[in-house]
Amino acid sequence: METLNRRAAFRLAGLSALGAALAACAPDAAGGGAPKGDAAAKRFGFTSWSLNEEAQKAAVRATVDAYAAKHGVRIDTASFPYNEYLNQVTLKLRGGQLSGAVQLDISWLAALAAMGKLKDLGAQAAKGGYTDVALSSGRFQDRQLGLPWTTGSIGLVANTEVLKKAGVEGMPATVEEFEDALRKVAKLGGGITPYAAATKAAQLKDILPWMRTFGSPLMEGDTITVGDDASVAAVEWYKKLYDAKLIAPDVDRFDARALFAQGKAAFYDDAVIARGVVAAQSPDKSLTEKMAPLARPVLKAGDQPQALLWGHVIVVVDGEGSDAAADFASYATSDTATVTAFFEKVKLPPTTTAGLADPKVAGDAFTTEWTEKITKTATPNPFWRYAGYAQIETAIAEQVQAVLVGQSPAKDALARAAETAKPLQK
Amino acid sequence: MTATLSRSVPITRAPRGRRPRSRAAAWAAVAVIGLFGLAPIYWLVVTAFTPDERAFTFPPSLVPTELTFDHFTKLADNEKLFGYLVNSVVVSVVTAFLSVVVSAYMAYAFSKFRYRGRKSLMHLVLASQLFPQALLLVTLYAVFSASGLLGGYTSLILSFTTFTLPLCVWMLKGIFDTVPSTLMEAAAIDGASRWRTLHRIALPLAAPGLVAAGLFAFVRAWNDFIFALTLTDPDRQTLPPGLVHTYLGEFQTAWPDLMAASFVVSLPVIAAFMFLQRYLVGGLTAGAVKG
Repeated sequence: METLNRRAAFRLAGLSALGAALAACAPDAAGGGAPKGDAAAKRFGFTSWSLNEEAQKAAVRATVDAYAAKHGVRIDTASFPYNEYLNQVTLKLRGGQLSGAVQLDISWLAALAAMGKLKDLGAQAAKGGYTDVALSSGRFQDRQLGLPWTTGSIGLVANTEVLKKAGVEGMPATVEEFEDALRKVAKLGGGITPYAAATKAAQLKDILPWMRTFGSPLMEGDTITVGDDASVAAVEWYKKLYDAKLIAPDVDRFDARALFAQGKAAFYDDAVIARGVVAAQSPDKSLTEKMAPLARPVLKAGDQPQALLWGHVIVVVDGEGSDAAADFASYATSDTATVTAFFEKVKLPPTTTAGLADPKVAGDAFTTEWTEKITKTATPNPFWRYAGYAQIETAIAEQVQAVLVGQSPAKDALARAAETAKPLQK
Repeated sequence: MTATLSRSVPITRAPRGRRPRSRAAAWAAVAVIGLFGLAPIYWLVVTAFTPDERAFTFPPSLVPTELTFDHFTKLADNEKLFGYLVNSVVVSVVTAFLSVVVSAYMAYAFSKFRYRGRKSLMHLVLASQLFPQALLLVTLYAVFSASGLLGGYTSLILSFTTFTLPLCVWMLKGIFDTVPSTLMEAAAIDGASRWRTLHRIALPLAAPGLVAAGLFAFVRAWNDFIFALTLTDPDRQTLPPGLVHTYLGEFQTAWPDLMAASFVVSLPVIAAFMFLQRYLVGGLTAGAVKG
């Protein structure tokens, strides 16, 4: 057996340090200053995960091809899997390998904006005819860095057939009515989970709108208020549902969809695109007719229903071809014929007043109902302003899970979550 | 010339009556380990043959009630998948080849020559294994980007070869250590050059180890996800990112299609392993005990 003597150890340490130093001296791939935007540029890039999503790629490709043909330009497309998208885009933007237009989830905007390489699209936003709520999803520190492509929300969806069988009349409007409806559904038996709420740590951020429902602002100024009386009450209520088996353990969004698709859940949380996703998984071909969006129940009548804003924006990387890419972003998100054709194919609601008023969109009852009941009062997650928002959500989710499994009282757990989240506010 | 090793090892028989019980315990342990190993594969195969609307049945059924070949017929129409497979084969085979060639020479030099700094170099090679590879991704990305190698096969093959070298070198060094130096000396007396001694005597004796090292490098390259996703352009990506790209997304989770594709693309690797497994086992254990 080889032994490492002191001399060899010093040599090894020295060589390791040399290696580390050499690695640190690797040239900055960003290179020098990139050339500025050119509205007449004939070639630019477009990066989008939707280019590879089975349900959306044809519609996105049609938009890209139509613009390229109309303006005589070449658009180089690239795509990464959704779950790895932010990491890849961040790495490539830092390395100077990303240019042109880039699709983003609205929650990722701050992380990329912090790198200071995104173009201000205020001029395009001003003439696009976007709704105020949609525009807010692309704004970062008073700059319009993203043009909204689709704006919706994460809200509650109900299976009206299950509710009818359970004897639930109308949609519950308050938390008390909601809990009552869940208890009625539970009595149906047959393995039905009354509310397929998120209980896995990875998805437990879904509890944030419930915290707001109970009166917690989540943030006041720069102070995280998780751990206040309202958020503690929300988590204790969630724990009560958990103990009463009105929500099930180990459920994330995919599990919830599967349960709902099989008719084994009366309520669950999802985005407006839920209809198509769940229908594709369901043996019940008429499930979409039984699906109904509902405003999140409020603590007391008169309160504003809470929902989480959700959507996609297109940002543009400052540099070569950025003006042309900005024009493409404007076209893809605000040209009425384009956005309504896009809606017809993928059922993602447009972001302009004209697009939403178009008969093709306004005539879709599910989308209209969703917009009226859920998106209308949806607000962004206040943690999105921080690049480390995902870690903040994880810190809260882990502590909520500790409460659910009985490891900690809600007050202590949320105090710990706030403490962990504090240094992540940057 | 042959070197024989014989040692008399006293064999003590277990007390009569305890053997069946210990044998049962051994079988039970094998069964449990087998279950852990095979259950995911069983589930993969079952899901691959399950219709979409049945794949999400809750609670899940361990025995399929309905079978379909739709997910396999869809594979035939997917040209992209074939492209990912070709990329995987190219990257994995070249990585395995390079790893074996480079590590064989390095291991031979560490084993059979004595020179200043030999031990430090050996420990440096081993120390490179201490860094989490994911941490190297950002640095490697910048280096390949600056050198213009980003996007193609080269960046991926160089990365994988670098990662597999330390283990391959130490594995092969152990094997060369077991080859008696008297063999090399005999060859030298007979007039063989060092080059000839290495290629005609040492390498053939280390063949099982070379196969094991090659298989290790092949599997490392075949299974990687994050480097294959980050360092290559979409048309050069290998199967792991390719499959995720094709079947998993923001709202899509085509598990049955993904399982069918995984099943089909695993077949060539399973066949290769079955063919080479005797070398693999022999190679991994050959350098384990010094005579």
